Amino acid sequence: MFSTVLLFREALYGALVIALACSVLGVYVVLRRIVFVGAALAQISSAGIALALFLTGAGIALGPVTHPTVMSLLLTIAAVMFFAGGARGRVPPDATIGVTYAVAAAFGILLIAKASHGEVHDIFLSGNILGITRNDTLVLLAVAVPVLVLHAVFYKELLFVSFDRETARTLGYNVRWWDLLLYLTLGIVIASAMQFAGVMLVFNFLVLPAVTGLLMSHTMRGLFFWSVASALGAAFIGFSLSVPFDLPSGPAISAASGVLVLIAWLGRKVAVRT
Amino acid sequence: MPPLVTFDRATLGYGRRAVLTDISFDIPEGDFLGLVGPNGAGKTTILRALLGSLQPLAGTVTRSPTLRFGYVPQRDQVDYNFPLKVIDVVMMGRYDRIGLGRRPSDHDRKLAHEALEHVGIDRLADLPLADLSGGQKQRTLIARALVGEPNVLVLDEPTNGMDLVATTQILGLVRELHDRDGLTVLMVSHALNEVANYVERIALVVEGGFRIGTTDEIMTETALSQMYGIPVEVDSFDGHRIVVAKRQPAEATADRV
Repeated sequence: MFSTVLLFREALYGALVIALACSVLGVYVVLRRIVFVGAALAQISSAGIALALFLTGAGIALGPVTHPTVMSLLLTIAAVMFFAGGARGRVPPDATIGVTYAVAAAFGILLIAKASHGEVHDIFLSGNILGITRNDTLVLLAVAVPVLVLHAVFYKELLFVSFDRETARTLGYNVRWWDLLLYLTLGIVIASAMQFAGVMLVFNFLVLPAVTGLLMSHTMRGLFFWSVASALGAAFIGFSLSVPFDLPSGPAISAASGVLVLIAWLGRKVAVRT
Repeated sequence: MPPLVTFDRATLGYGRRAVLTDISFDIPEGDFLGLVGPNGAGKTTILRALLGSLQPLAGTVTRSPTLRFGYVPQRDQVDYNFPLKVIDVVMMGRYDRIGLGRRPSDHDRKLAHEALEHVGIDRLADLPLADLSGGQKQRTLIARALVGEPNVLVLDEPTNGMDLVATTQILGLVRELHDRDGLTVLMVSHALNEVANYVERIALVVEGGFRIGTTDEIMTETALSQMYGIPVEVDSFDGHRIVVAKRQPAEATADRV
């Protein structure tokens, strides 16, 4: 079984990089209760890929802008600026996120339907982990490493504004700028991971590992450790099972993540009772 | 000595809508002021202007250059879903002093433990914040405010949702911090009866109205009846003042509900 997996090791490395980056940022996504911002950003990112494919198919070449990753990144950053701006008028924030999600999903599907070779490009929306090459992994690393370093350096600032923004503000923290940094790094990671992992797997990596971490630990250090460990574990297990059993990799990894959440939840139940 | 904060004919509000107009008062060093009023009257608006997160629509709010707030938010403003130990939360009060991108030192840790000791809960330092009682959580947030070495302690509804014992203990602790350490304190609360027996001055905010004075000046039947717009009785029991609204027919207060 492992010899088959080794054939696709470049793809596995890519999946592990995506798992690592998303699971670290996912801690903030879950703790700040912005899970649906994560979902909306993932959907917008995929709509960006669809738009790039549509424009290319229609013969509209705008240079690098029509590259799927670049277009995805541009749209995601625009959405990040929008979400980081906070509440607007009478529309509740979660309704704004819902509208964005629904519209992005609909446009993504419509654009793909009208893009030439649309059926081939469906893979961009559902992901294609097995298609990750060494170069792709290097690009993913080039995005993930600076983002993770930034998060390590400014850990206490990001934690403070996430935990108690009002007090942080009284101590002189520009809460909006820190929000923007968090959302921007989130957007960049999502956009770079999207064309390989697809909406479902990116969203999975942003939420499920952090939930496992919350169930497994009582400290922030433990939460980050278990979030990353469970994401890497799910990526490895799901990928390793998907190749020999000829299963789609993304859903297999998501299912493995789900099983880990379930194990953590049961473990917590047992620990509380004993 | 110049006051730490001065509101000079300040009009406060949001957008073009003024919530409070022409407010003038100051907070001198060593003051123990209660900012009291019903929910929605404008206490938070004054608090935000004081902390600098809201600019006055007219007039000025001047802060001393040496001013440093130790802010204690309402307990429910803090997210207990974060898996943080008590000591981690207290340490946050020093984050701005530690500097951008730097880690807390042993000195910061020592100060955090001292702050916890100061509020009587050092033994809880390594427990998860979420596991504490309401009063212990409040003490943690007060310790966090103190560890930053502030010259004004600002508490927003510190006894909200607490039982009688916890309320008395928290108000007693705040009073002790003022008496023992000479700390300037501003306490925001909707509960006049609770605050009036601890603070030295009261700023009373009711819809569109503002009045400030010593506790003796404000806690009179005439002043309170005038501010609340209903007949009020001020009784004294065992050295504590108790404010009671006189019973009235329902229709007399219907427009105030």
